[in-house]
Amino acid sequence: MYKRQAVKDYGREISIFYMRAVIALIIVIGLLLLLFFRQFKLQVLSYDTYQTQSENNRIRVRPVAPIRGLILDRNGVLLAENRSIFALEITPEIVGKKQMDDTLTRLGLLLDIDEKQINEFKEQIKFRSKYKSYPIKSKLSEQQVAIFSVNKHLFPGVSVEARLERYYPHGEDVVHAIGRMSAINKADLEKWEKEAQATNDFSRINNYAATNKIGKLGLERFYEKELHGTVGQEKVETDVRGRIVRVLERQDPIAGQNLHLHLDYSLQKKANELFKEVGARGAVVAVDPNSGGILALVSQPGYDPNLFTGGISQANYSALINSEERPLYNRAVQGTYAPASTIKPHLAWLALQQGVINSSTRIADPGWYSLPDNEHRYRDWKPWGHGATMNVVDSIIQSCDTFFYELSVMLGINNISAGMEQFGFGQKTGLDIVEEKVGIMPSRAWKKENRNQFWYMGDTVNIGIGQGFWTATPLQLANSSAVLANDGIRFDLQLVKEFQIGTKVESNIPEMSTEQITTGDGRWLDTVKNAMHQVTLPPLGTAKTAFEGASFSAAGKTGTAQVKSIAQDETYDAETVEDKFKDNALFIGYAPFENPQIAIAVVMENAGGGGGNAAPIARKLMEHYLKSNDKSLASNQPMGQQ
Amino acid sequence: MLSSYSPNASSNTHKAKNSLLWRFHIDVPLLLGLLMLMGFGLMVIYSAGGESSFLIKKQLVRLGFGLAVMFFIAQIPPRILQLWAPALYVLALGFLFAVLLFGESSKGAQRWINIGIRFQPSEMMKLAMPMMIAWFFAEKALPPSFKNLVVSLLLVFVPTLLIMKQPDLGTSLLIATSGLFIIFFSGIRWRYIATAVVAAVVMIPIMWYFVMHDYQKGRVLTFLNPERDPLGAGYHIIQSQIAIGSGGVSGKGWLQGTQSQLEFLPERHTDFIFAVLGEEFGLIGVGILLALYLFIIIRGLQISLQAQDTFGRLLGAAITLTFFVYLFVNIGMVSGLLPVVGLPLPLISYGGTSMVTLLAGFGILMSIKTHRRLHSR
Repeated sequence: MYKRQAVKDYGREISIFYMRAVIALIIVIGLLLLLFFRQFKLQVLSYDTYQTQSENNRIRVRPVAPIRGLILDRNGVLLAENRSIFALEITPEIVGKKQMDDTLTRLGLLLDIDEKQINEFKEQIKFRSKYKSYPIKSKLSEQQVAIFSVNKHLFPGVSVEARLERYYPHGEDVVHAIGRMSAINKADLEKWEKEAQATNDFSRINNYAATNKIGKLGLERFYEKELHGTVGQEKVETDVRGRIVRVLERQDPIAGQNLHLHLDYSLQKKANELFKEVGARGAVVAVDPNSGGILALVSQPGYDPNLFTGGISQANYSALINSEERPLYNRAVQGTYAPASTIKPHLAWLALQQGVINSSTRIADPGWYSLPDNEHRYRDWKPWGHGATMNVVDSIIQSCDTFFYELSVMLGINNISAGMEQFGFGQKTGLDIVEEKVGIMPSRAWKKENRNQFWYMGDTVNIGIGQGFWTATPLQLANSSAVLANDGIRFDLQLVKEFQIGTKVESNIPEMSTEQITTGDGRWLDTVKNAMHQVTLPPLGTAKTAFEGASFSAAGKTGTAQVKSIAQDETYDAETVEDKFKDNALFIGYAPFENPQIAIAVVMENAGGGGGNAAPIARKLMEHYLKSNDKSLASNQPMGQQ
Repeated sequence: MLSSYSPNASSNTHKAKNSLLWRFHIDVPLLLGLLMLMGFGLMVIYSAGGESSFLIKKQLVRLGFGLAVMFFIAQIPPRILQLWAPALYVLALGFLFAVLLFGESSKGAQRWINIGIRFQPSEMMKLAMPMMIAWFFAEKALPPSFKNLVVSLLLVFVPTLLIMKQPDLGTSLLIATSGLFIIFFSGIRWRYIATAVVAAVVMIPIMWYFVMHDYQKGRVLTFLNPERDPLGAGYHIIQSQIAIGSGGVSGKGWLQGTQSQLEFLPERHTDFIFAVLGEEFGLIGVGILLALYLFIIIRGLQISLQAQDTFGRLLGAAITLTFFVYLFVNIGMVSGLLPVVGLPLPLISYGGTSMVTLLAGFGILMSIKTHRRLHSR
């Protein structure tokens, strides 16, 4: 049933195809010749025109850096601003690869740039466009500008440019909260490049086209995106030397957001001063218990973050890194310390709430505690003991160790680690600083995983006085104090209160919401808080001297942490022990007792007892804060000294 | 070279059968041509990308992947490809519908679909289209009857319209072209071709008012008069011409192109890479590039002529000519002969998806060349 046209005629098909292929090839060759002649016209006939245009008339698109957002404290005190400076900048393309080393060496001699800075500069330009200029030295003095100007002709491709640079007016006081800036390095660029390739989104790299510095620590790092702003651009016409003849078009950059902090700079400054007065290392964290806002975040000693902004010199860097005081170490958020007796109120509350004890449960304290069938004596800080009948309130006020040894054994480690996590131990506080450490809230699982050992009863005993495996950051301690002050409500701690975008202000609402611990019978929380109140009062409170004559009421708990373990037959003698093995002094607390406005944690490394060293600092800071923020206290006369 | 076509292909086959490369279904001249182009491309990318080894590494990985795909496809005999052509076409068509219904948008166009991996069904259609039309004509009497011609045109225009809707005018026209090439090689009468050309001319105003988007119209207007938009698209055309023109006969030298390296060309390692090549390697470099392209095209047509059946013959020729259209449109655009269309320079530009599709096409050519039945018809 074949129709005539349905029969395949291979011969005809092939010959038609052959002819069409030849025709196609002729057309292809014709069009390729057209392309070739087009290039011939451009490259040979019009060569002179284009050559001249390429030499004389360079139109370029230049990115314009946005102005970085400011950082201000709760009263509007500037903590980070931008100052105009003179920067020595190099355009690698103009200097040329071969001349680069020579130019850098000669510049170094002329303007005092050390090898480290030169190497960092080389590292920086390796991965970036050669056609832009990069700073090798910022903050030139007027004299240096003059010296360079005289010698300018010796350095093609090097220029002095007016730039804005980050400046911290109170650098050393706030560095551990604000953080610092430094040059964008290879690692940053590679990371962005990878991200961009993976997501096909190059906006981040493009946004930093005109930016040379980036937040490396603290708020500057955490809020890099908000602070940075959006790059602008301008189309400019330049002459053969790359000088701008005129700006053709401009799209302004959008400045970064300003950060308004909860931080109270005057409190922050006061804390630094108090530490310097006694020459102590350590940390202070103060929190507004009603919001979780950080009022002060101090780590002593600090350092000047301005040193890093323009590229730190070898000498300065070595001094910082080799200092025994470890100023670069952020004790407030990264220091993990044994909380010692400061966590006794929390444990007491847990035991009361769970019904393990009640307020009239009493134990006898001979000055030590030992586990059944074990000779090891866990000593009380008071060698002769606190007497025959100690209840929970007495034990908090006088910080009786024996009571809490026994209490922790009664509670058991599982109960303790679950209960203490409610206060935020062993977790991040939600603070807007990524460097935050979590410390250790030990548990059976933790010990198995990290030490590959079973949990022993003795471990639990040590936990009762906040020693052993338990460590916490000053931040967590302040947080736990705020939770008590706030009747069990826990906020995410935040430094930033508001973002200011132009004239619009937006509140900073942390991602995690607030949590409330299960207080059970609210009575027990009151019992513990009353005991903490009496810690600051005569006749027996461990911080009574520190709070003597205070015009406000407070609650608190002292702590004295052993840094070195003491053998069974030894005694601790503050006079003979080496400085670095001296006890850490701690204090947590809040004020006013009735209506808490400030919760605080003070940790002083190797300073001795908490009541004698940390508590006085806490008291002065509470006083300072309440005076300046609470009108009812502002008129009161100065407090009596202890 | 075309005259090397010999009706007695089997003698040719016996000689080559001994070679190892033949056994792996690799056509050596074609492979050499492709590798030389790729090497040239890597050199230019290195320069255009600011001497970044990162881009080179990425591109090497892509090239490697593309070549692997090519070798894989070369192992599949043409009759299997023919067998699967309709299924592939229907699948691609289904994906195109899916894209319109729930595709992912990027830069204002909806071209992507996510089925575990994200991909553009239009890339799939680039191969499925010529395979389908070749399959359709394979067992039919050629030149095609009017009825078969109408059916084949329908097969071409349905996916074309779907891609146009995304909107991706450039790709849709390219895909239509690959199908139309097959119809051309099937031997339709010149009368029809002439009619089609007239129809196309008539279509231009219709396209202008009803199909083209404002940005596309803008490109055409700018192409006709670059000074219309000296800071936008026209600026690119002016600047790429300055770059090419200032290269002269011998070029400014590798890595020495001052124009290319300035920040004026936005896509200098992708779509505008030809400007960098022209500036740094001059007319000589351009000549070498065009010669390499011509060599590959001649080899492709030769393979098609030697094909043993209608399917292979039509498909091979269409793939080869589509390849030519790519390079012609790109070079024409960069040197100011054609309006700006977002299309990479084949095997030279930095970029992934379209290159893999291209190499898959060359895999089909190698398959047509190397899978031969020993008996003659």
